[in-house]
Amino acid sequence: MRIAEVIGRVTMSKLHPALRGGRFLISLPMPADALLEGSSNRGEEVIVYDNLGAGPGSLIALSEGREAANPFGKTKTPVDAYCACLIDRLAL
Amino acid sequence: MQIGRVLGTMTSTVKHESFQGERILVVQLEGVNGRPDGEPVLAIDRMGAGRGDRVLLTNDGQILQEMIGRKTPGRWSVMALPDES
Repeated sequence: MRIAEVIGRVTMSKLHPALRGGRFLISLPMPADALLEGSSNRGEEVIVYDNLGAGPGSLIALSEGREAANPFGKTKTPVDAYCACLIDRLAL
Repeated sequence: MQIGRVLGTMTSTVKHESFQGERILVVQLEGVNGRPDGEPVLAIDRMGAGRGDRVLLTNDGQILQEMIGRKTPGRWSVMALPDES
């Protein structure tokens, strides 16, 4: 998982049935200089499936790849970016 | 397995249930000759590593699933605290 900043949301008109009930965040992964020195550098935009209710400006734990679909268990779900935590605090 | 440097800790209350009660570290992975490798990652730690420590991480999701549950969205976990070489 990486740390990402939520900058907005994407609303969908048509959805794969397995994705119903989720929200879709626009998030930017945070490099070390952003986390440690507050630089405005960000990684490439990632659209993230969210069911924790992250809002713009919040930081999230961004799970990617195979394990992003783990929370859906057996049901085949086309998710490869998942919001795993709403970050309260980073003590760096 | 990869070596990393602990930058600090992350706290979160609203999170996937597999992370309940787990300690989550922010780790900068290190490539060859200690150069930073990619963005910092979040790793589950049961070894009690602290800020500034070097840690040995695994990205084998299987190991983490056995530790905290098959549905976890996590990947990285701390396997060992290598002595400072």
